[in-house]
Amino acid sequence: MSAEPRLYGVLAEFEDVDSLVAAARKVREAGYTRFDAHTPFPVHGLDDAMGVQPTILPWIVLLCGLIGLGGGFLLQWWTNAVDYPFVISGKPLFGLPGAVPVAYELTILLASFGAFFGMLALNGLPKWYHPLFRVARFSRATSDRFYLVIQGSDPFFSPATPEWLASLGASAVETVPEPDEPDTPPRWFKGLTWIVTSLALLPPAMIAKARFSEMQHPRVHLVKNMDFQKKFKAQQASPLFADGRAMRPDPAGTVARGDLDPTSTLATGRNPDGSYATAYPLAVDQALIERGRERFAIYCATCHGLDGRGDSMVARRALLRQGQQGTNWVPPADLTGEAVAAQPPGRIFETISRGRNTMPGYSQQIRPRDRWAIALYLEALRQAQAGLDAPGDKDNQEEAGR
Amino acid sequence: MAEVAARELPESIKPPDLIQGGEDFTSITNTVARVAEYKPPKGWYIAFGIAVSVLGVLLAMLGYLFWKGVGIWGNNQPVAWGWPIVNFVFWVGIGHAGTLISAVLFLFRQQWRTSINRFAEAMTIFAVMCAGLFPAIHVGRPWLAYWLFPIPNQMRMWPNFRSPLLWDVFAVSTYATVSLLFWYMGMVPDLATLRDRATKKLPRLLYGVFALGWTGSNRAWHRFERAYLLLAALATPLVLSVHSVVSFDFAVAQLPGWHTTIFPPYFVAGAIFSGFAMVITLMVPARQFFGLKNLVTMRHLENMCKVIMATGMMVGYAYGVEFFIAWYSGNKYEGFVFINRALGNYAWAYWTMVTCNVLLPQVFWFRKMRRNLVVMFVIAAFVNVGMWFERFVITVTSTSRDFLPSSWHYFTPTLFDAVILLGSFGLFFTFFLLFCRFLPTVAMAEVKTVLPEAHPGHHHQPAEVER
Amino acid sequence: MSLAATLLSGDKLQDVELTRRSSRVALLVGGLALAAAVLLGLNEGDHLRRFFHAYLVGYVFVLSIALGGLFFVIVQHLTNAHWSVTLRRLAEFTAISLPWVGALGLPLLYPLFTHHGVEEHGGLLWPWIHPHGEHAELIAGKRPWLNPTFFALRMLGYYAVWAALGIAFVRCSFQQDRTDDPAPTVRAKRWSAVGIIVFAITTTLAAFDLLMSLDPAWFSTIFGVYFFAGSVVAIFAWLILTALFMQRTGRMQRAVTVEHYHDLGKFLFAFVFFWGYIAFSQYMLMWYGDIPEETVWFAQRQTAAWMPVSWLLVAGHFVIPFAGLLSRHVKRRLTVLGFWAAWMLIMHWVDLYWLVVPGLDSEHLTFGLIEILTSAGLVGLFVAGLARIAGGRPLVPLNDPLLPECLEFQNI
Repeated sequence: MSAEPRLYGVLAEFEDVDSLVAAARKVREAGYTRFDAHTPFPVHGLDDAMGVQPTILPWIVLLCGLIGLGGGFLLQWWTNAVDYPFVISGKPLFGLPGAVPVAYELTILLASFGAFFGMLALNGLPKWYHPLFRVARFSRATSDRFYLVIQGSDPFFSPATPEWLASLGASAVETVPEPDEPDTPPRWFKGLTWIVTSLALLPPAMIAKARFSEMQHPRVHLVKNMDFQKKFKAQQASPLFADGRAMRPDPAGTVARGDLDPTSTLATGRNPDGSYATAYPLAVDQALIERGRERFAIYCATCHGLDGRGDSMVARRALLRQGQQGTNWVPPADLTGEAVAAQPPGRIFETISRGRNTMPGYSQQIRPRDRWAIALYLEALRQAQAGLDAPGDKDNQEEAGR
Repeated sequence: MAEVAARELPESIKPPDLIQGGEDFTSITNTVARVAEYKPPKGWYIAFGIAVSVLGVLLAMLGYLFWKGVGIWGNNQPVAWGWPIVNFVFWVGIGHAGTLISAVLFLFRQQWRTSINRFAEAMTIFAVMCAGLFPAIHVGRPWLAYWLFPIPNQMRMWPNFRSPLLWDVFAVSTYATVSLLFWYMGMVPDLATLRDRATKKLPRLLYGVFALGWTGSNRAWHRFERAYLLLAALATPLVLSVHSVVSFDFAVAQLPGWHTTIFPPYFVAGAIFSGFAMVITLMVPARQFFGLKNLVTMRHLENMCKVIMATGMMVGYAYGVEFFIAWYSGNKYEGFVFINRALGNYAWAYWTMVTCNVLLPQVFWFRKMRRNLVVMFVIAAFVNVGMWFERFVITVTSTSRDFLPSSWHYFTPTLFDAVILLGSFGLFFTFFLLFCRFLPTVAMAEVKTVLPEAHPGHHHQPAEVER
Repeated sequence: MSLAATLLSGDKLQDVELTRRSSRVALLVGGLALAAAVLLGLNEGDHLRRFFHAYLVGYVFVLSIALGGLFFVIVQHLTNAHWSVTLRRLAEFTAISLPWVGALGLPLLYPLFTHHGVEEHGGLLWPWIHPHGEHAELIAGKRPWLNPTFFALRMLGYYAVWAALGIAFVRCSFQQDRTDDPAPTVRAKRWSAVGIIVFAITTTLAAFDLLMSLDPAWFSTIFGVYFFAGSVVAIFAWLILTALFMQRTGRMQRAVTVEHYHDLGKFLFAFVFFWGYIAFSQYMLMWYGDIPEETVWFAQRQTAAWMPVSWLLVAGHFVIPFAGLLSRHVKRRLTVLGFWAAWMLIMHWVDLYWLVVPGLDSEHLTFGLIEILTSAGLVGLFVAGLARIAGGRPLVPLNDPLLPECLEFQNI
């Protein structure tokens, strides 16, 4: 068994699966460990005969799958809820039902990688060369013949092994030398592989370079009609407007997002110490009263009536239907009465904003400035009515008699 | 035991052998490898020439599309998802049969799959390629389509993972990847066969590279089989999920006709339906051309016809349930959409769909029809048409007439829509014909395991004796 | 001499005594439990409203097992399956029990036609009998479908179809026991395709009627598939448990091997997953669509009282058994497999409980003796019927042409 030529092992050919399986069992029972069968398709029962241990592949796949599952959830949570949070179509930043599909796909993707690459790694593939490839008859191992190979390095291997193997029903037995020099790919093929690999690395390298360097020139415009559209952009001139600018100024009174102080008196009706504002936090003039009258007529008069006494058509009709179908009508307040007159403007403002009793809040419909205007108009209305409330005024006497 | 084995059973209980014509290990290798080793028949060159020309037309159209923009299509408000999305769903659906045959039927121990799985898997890969094309060109600026993937960028933005369209990106790319792995892994032993038979240097080198040094070692087979089983077990829920996610693209919206809970299983059934139809459309001529009649037998084709009929019924079931619930829900918009589909301006499309998908496959109730090559080829072609129309009906009718009658609009495709759809068939067939020419079209190693002599001690077992 | 006599000589495949005894015991236990439940229900003072909700849970539980059995039988013929031959008879017993299950449904005529509870709730059990409340007009629009008479007629129709299917297929199987000629099996296979279509349509509509119409304003197109998925989970769990019971009590020792359990386990696992897929599809689409007319149904099940049950369902009907049944070793270790089968049957009951009872009161978790006793009673009566049917009959198809293959196959 000396090294001239070095021996890889001995190869036995079998005609059918039965003799192969029987021989494999005998080889194992004889104590050989470094042997293998080569077949064109998986032969059931051979694993058992050869004593092949179950592979750990399922555990690799399970681990990869779990990484995919956890990683999938983590990726979605971190990108959409932490690093770049934005609300879209009212969905939570990270909602479990919506995160399931992607995590599911990644579980399967990574588990499949585990199955495929795990199988290759455990089998020691890909492999360019194998000593058996030099045996001419071995080319039928992938077609229609079955082989058993005992390696020369097996501790039980002896010069009698080939003969013994032949006695197990093999149709042919052949010793396989270990070549001095393994086969290598042709040079041109190696070169081609290098070139292709380098070329494949070029685009990512260029992208990486672009990411970390500054450009001095404007970028190349591939599709001109998308980059240069017939429209006005910011900072450009436009003949459309009198001031010649394409950009339009903000409407008067615009407050930038986040600049409105929600705790100011203007917005709450209260002074910084929590008490109701007794003065108007904006300039009082005729225009403001007019604005207040207009808003009052739109939003308040439907219930409180144009005169503010809570005697609108709505209120009258509701009173008539009192008690029907379980209704319980709370009449609207008389805005000209004592109770309201005693309230500071800040309190009126708050009532309009938040509502009171059955009256809903109007902060969504009426802007703060207009709510102050309504409060101011109410004051004007009261004063005007105080002048009208003279004895002998027929309309008012009727109302007082109710 | 003897009298047990001697029983004669009718074909409906014990079907004829899967592999006919007395094939053995050697002849199976020869039959399959010959396709890749010798010059193909003249018909292949003609078909390949046509396919490449059509692919050329597609590439030209895509160039024009990139230059002019998506305005060349018929897509416009309110039908913003026109043919590209219809084509996408159509092709993804076709891609489902491959993995179903390879994975699901494998798990169900349906051994008849071995003759057709390679073929169907290849079809899957190429169909998914065609499918992936359409959303990519539909994004408007296709050179930025990589924005769909969560790649860190200088704007520090991430894609919106709450959008089903992004789920689609993950589902379809996972599906393409896993199908490719599955297909390739199953092919490694067969590539080794081609490597070992190759006589010329270049084929030997190329097949050798892709065979990864496979020696047929039993220790390797052990892990290979386990990996194959695991991949099958992973691919099965994947098949379910892919078309379900495609259906989510529609069903998460609040649009009547799209927002319905049966969409996921309904889409999956439809996908398998169309996929099997495509396998028949391709298999019937291919087995004729390449001399695979002993491996792909009438029993295989008949089984596929049965699957087509079964999945066609499931699709019909979904049509029915949708209609019933549209009335039962009491939702007038939902009701309108379905009345509109059946009687409105797209009624012609709806009834094309119903005829092709539900009525015509009923022919397969008759065994004679299931075994008639011409009939099955024609019906399968009609099913393909019908399933394209199903996606058309879903995509277009719901958007063209939704809540606001003032924005109703009748969608009309342009010539470019039609030519790009046609061109995608060029893409598909170019790759498919190359596959038929150069790769093992039938899984040799797997087919061999179906032969009785592949099992040790087979002649001792009563059930096998009568064969 | 039958095939089974040749292949399974010495196996105990028939037993008159034990089945009679268990039939009597089950009848007694079931009857007593149900009577106690009625008394407790009367004590509630709600015109038996709670009792009938509990009754529907137990009733649909039993029905789903029987329907699952029918599906199993038809689909084995349809796919020409050989792995399941020795198990098929156990499923056939549940399938042929469908007329008996139909009789167990007769008490549900009471909530359909009574006037009690109609004013306050729209109906004692199904609230569309007298539409009221904010959706009254909507529900009244469904009257052509949802009215007591048509409902009862439909139920009669479903049971006629199911009973016909069950008897037809099972009779083929019984005939096969007595003859060598495979003609009865061929006949069963020929009719299986039509059978499965009829089964799909009737089961879907029955799920809509019995369960979905408990909230008549709500609808979901996938609901029939959801009910079907749960039924199939139930039948596989049931088959595992009955096969184990038969074997542990000395029957079918050689007829059922670990390979059969392995396959049953795989199918149980597959349908646990399928149920999860269908349940997720239904929930996610409604969650995402966020339309009140749909989400209200889930909102009722996500109240403080019912949220724990919803989570129990997610974990217990999907996540935990999914992990538990993943490994092949679990499916081949019979005690563990039996544990998971029992677990899934309980979870299937929880699923039905979660479908029905929140309609009674979504603010409070209604769970107590009434629910347990009613279901126990119905299961008892169901088992009594099964035992009576199985009594004296062979426990495996004695002459099925595919019997040899069934005893031979091995899982990879």
